[in-house]
Amino acid sequence: MLSVISYPVFAISILLGLILSISLFPLGWFEFRPEWLALLVFYWTFRAPAQFGVLWAWCLGLLLDVLEATPLGVNASAMALTAFLVLTVHQRLRMFPLIQQCLMVFLLLGINQMYVHFIKQILGGGDAGFSYLWPALTSALLWPPVCVILDGLNRKLG
Amino acid sequence: MAAPTGDSAIKTIFVAGPIPGFRLFLALVTSAALIVADVRFDTLQTARSAIATGLSPVYWFGNAPSQLSDWVSGLFTTRDDLLEENDALKARLLILERRALRYAALAAENNELRRLLNSGEVLDDRVIVAEVVSVSPDPFSHEVVINKGSRDGVRVGQAILDSTGLMGQVLTTSSFTSRVLLISDSSHAVPVEVVRNGLRAILLGNGDISALELVHVPDTADIREGDLLVSSGLGGRFPKGYPVAEVKRIHKDPGEPFVQIEATPKAQLNRSEMVLVVFSENQELARPTQDDGSMSPEGDASVTEGGAD
Repeated sequence: MLSVISYPVFAISILLGLILSISLFPLGWFEFRPEWLALLVFYWTFRAPAQFGVLWAWCLGLLLDVLEATPLGVNASAMALTAFLVLTVHQRLRMFPLIQQCLMVFLLLGINQMYVHFIKQILGGGDAGFSYLWPALTSALLWPPVCVILDGLNRKLG
Repeated sequence: MAAPTGDSAIKTIFVAGPIPGFRLFLALVTSAALIVADVRFDTLQTARSAIATGLSPVYWFGNAPSQLSDWVSGLFTTRDDLLEENDALKARLLILERRALRYAALAAENNELRRLLNSGEVLDDRVIVAEVVSVSPDPFSHEVVINKGSRDGVRVGQAILDSTGLMGQVLTTSSFTSRVLLISDSSHAVPVEVVRNGLRAILLGNGDISALELVHVPDTADIREGDLLVSSGLGGRFPKGYPVAEVKRIHKDPGEPFVQIEATPKAQLNRSEMVLVVFSENQELARPTQDDGSMSPEGDASVTEGGAD
């Protein structure tokens, strides 16, 4: 468990997350693109629940809405929901081994994706199938390295 | 409630306060209001473009890897290759110039004929060159971001071309970037006509980047495989006469009132780096002249001279 966090690391990781979520990605692998920003919201809410919560997540989601050109508020509310769910489980989450944490990441980011997909369906877009869940899976696989790297940076610089 | 509430005597190792259900409620209500305002009333465009302008460093960095690879490959190109490419480009320029010569004469003649017919059309359009800097992260929507925005005069609804055909239209703009909806997006439609005989139809995108759908063409219509479809200019959004697609396959089902027609887009929707933003004089002229028809011949004549040069 971390006692201190580093705000520069926070800012840079968020900026990097925003960049990665629009930077060019191999075309055939498009639907596997990880949900970088949701993963970072998950990490920061998990590691620093007192500082980063629902409102931060909502603001970051709004930025993602602009980047993805979805109606303003879709990703914002999804991020707020994710942050809220992390806040409700973060105490148990700390006790979990890394593999189990990955499962939780998959679950919560899956809920995030499902929510976004649901809203898009209501607004008359999107299509059928469960392929929108792939990003949750790839993000879950990325959780161990992301967690280890950000923890290391926080310890060193925080 | 699993989280500890304010008991100051015991210092817990968990630093969170009460579960912020109220904040979530607030966020969800605000989001719902935003979504409704954005989708139904279109009132948030200024806010969106302001945020997008603030995020332009993100767009820039997002495009940096491909720029870097371009720069590195430019660094390692040999002089011979450059000379060879230069020769090829010169040859191509010569061919295109010859065509342009013929085109100028034809355009002048065409404009003259149109003027005689009192028809309100202008052939030449002004364009600016833009670069695709990002593609939509959502695999289900076909959108790209270009590096020209409202600072460069780009406005919502302008047509985007590449060297081979129509690509799409501007959806939103910010100061430095604009978002372009491609013609293959499932929410996009272009009014087109067959160049051979002027048959009009609507070309729909269907979410497949290499196939479009021509709809509401009757069974008896004169259309063949290999026909070129150009934008018809009806609807006032796209300028007239740019190639859009080529008919690839026609399927006639005797039980159906319409034929099923599949077309291949002429533009390279998934690889164009450089694109053209069209400033259609037509659009700007069309609106005022609709009010009083007597203005149109003079208006046309003045632009005709500019267009024929």
